[in-house]
Amino acid sequence: MLGNLLVSPFRRSAPETASTPVAGAIWAIRDVSFEVPAGQVMGVIGRNGSGKSTLLKLLARITSPTEGQAVLSGRVGALLEVGTGFHPDLSGRQNILLNGTMLGMTPRDIQRCEAEIIDFAEIGEFIDTPVKHYSSGMFMRLAFSVAAHLDAEIMLVDEVLAVGDAAFQDKCKLKIRDIAQSGRTILFTSHDMEAVSRICTTAIVLDHGRVVYRGAVDGAVSQYRTLMQAPRTPAPE
Amino acid sequence: MAKIIVRPTPLHVLLDIGELWRYRYLFLVLVWRTLKVRTQQTVVGVAWTVLQPLLLTALFTVIFSLLAGMPSDGQPYPLFVLGGLLMWQFVAFSFQTASGSVVAETHLITRIYFPRILLLLAAVGAALFDLVCVLGLLVCFMIWYGVAPSVGVLAFIPAVLLAAATSFGLSLWLAALYVPYRDVGHLLPFMTQVWMFLSPVIYPLSLLPPKYEAVYALNPAVVAVQTSRWAFTGGPPPSALMAWISTGVALFLVVSGLWFFRRREGTFADKV
Repeated sequence: MLGNLLVSPFRRSAPETASTPVAGAIWAIRDVSFEVPAGQVMGVIGRNGSGKSTLLKLLARITSPTEGQAVLSGRVGALLEVGTGFHPDLSGRQNILLNGTMLGMTPRDIQRCEAEIIDFAEIGEFIDTPVKHYSSGMFMRLAFSVAAHLDAEIMLVDEVLAVGDAAFQDKCKLKIRDIAQSGRTILFTSHDMEAVSRICTTAIVLDHGRVVYRGAVDGAVSQYRTLMQAPRTPAPE
Repeated sequence: MAKIIVRPTPLHVLLDIGELWRYRYLFLVLVWRTLKVRTQQTVVGVAWTVLQPLLLTALFTVIFSLLAGMPSDGQPYPLFVLGGLLMWQFVAFSFQTASGSVVAETHLITRIYFPRILLLLAAVGAALFDLVCVLGLLVCFMIWYGVAPSVGVLAFIPAVLLAAATSFGLSLWLAALYVPYRDVGHLLPFMTQVWMFLSPVIYPLSLLPPKYEAVYALNPAVVAVQTSRWAFTGGPPPSALMAWISTGVALFLVVSGLWFFRRREGTFADKV
């Protein structure tokens, strides 16, 4: 099936070379194992330091696991950070090409969406000026716009993406919701429980690198809230 | 339909051609970016590519030929040295840029996935563009001195491939080592300088005792530079033995470099 995601017992220790972990090493995530069928929107929630970013980075192949493996069936679009690869000396248009290609779009995809991307970002006539002259708001808007037009069967989305002033943030959140409802397989992470409940159907809760809940999103949110109330404890080995 | 498997790096295949093919546009875009950015806000622009070898040729001619009386196998010294610099600039630039490419692109490495080898390949690609520009300059010199290319021209492209493979293979090792050990960054310019003196760029190969030619061939840049001279400036060809030894060395560097780089790749994002 398109867009399946299968994660077998998955461990990641940090920091370490990708050989045998040293005794006493800290595992960022451990024994994380789950499956996401095609078309499902799954939330990944947990406190800061619970391993959410590591999990998404692993799935986005930015870093590799010490043990275990994951199988992703379909193209993967990682919306974990925006503006990656933007070069200050190049124009907005040139950076759309650069960033888009890095995200995995083909030049034809980019050509097709270019007008839409510029329009969504509200850059207008400045699209041909070097981005070092952009305000930080313009930069963020363009960066988000390119990423938001990425078309992949599996999307890894970090809600931190919603950038800019309040008006544009709303636009971003709406776009994220559109992506979530488009039938793709989504892994969505956020600290905004309202957004998670609204967008996701299921969720996993991570705590100290382990999955402590896997199921319907409402249960996940209440589990998260319970964890948030407990005092911070150091990571068990 | 694409199936992506995330696994620990020691289990990675040596060279994923399919993946590199899927990312071919990114390779082209990275080369384009390197070249484009170089000329932004400069007055001289692309001309820098030929200005540097031109100035070096003038400098070397004055110091090594006019003042020190360096022999040049019967070729006019400026032509002789540019013929060597053509290949040498390619090797030096691709080697230094590729070796530093992973650390230079820290912000990419930690945030987005693409085959990291593309950074090194793009460096070699940009160096190839420069090579073509310098070749244009060399052709002007050849016309000036009334020297025609020899049959060695047929061996020029294989020689470029040899040089590219050597540079690429070596930089795979260094780029991967540079990430955890920043000393490499300090070593690179020094290594390049030493390498230049170990290759017959300023001096002719005939200056060295021929019975050790097998040893000289352990440095594939020797064969590459010599072939360039054979093709364009009227120099003698390298021996077949040297060519074979150099090819072996280059292949070894590429295969071992790939092995090492691929093993370490997974930890770049953590250590850079």
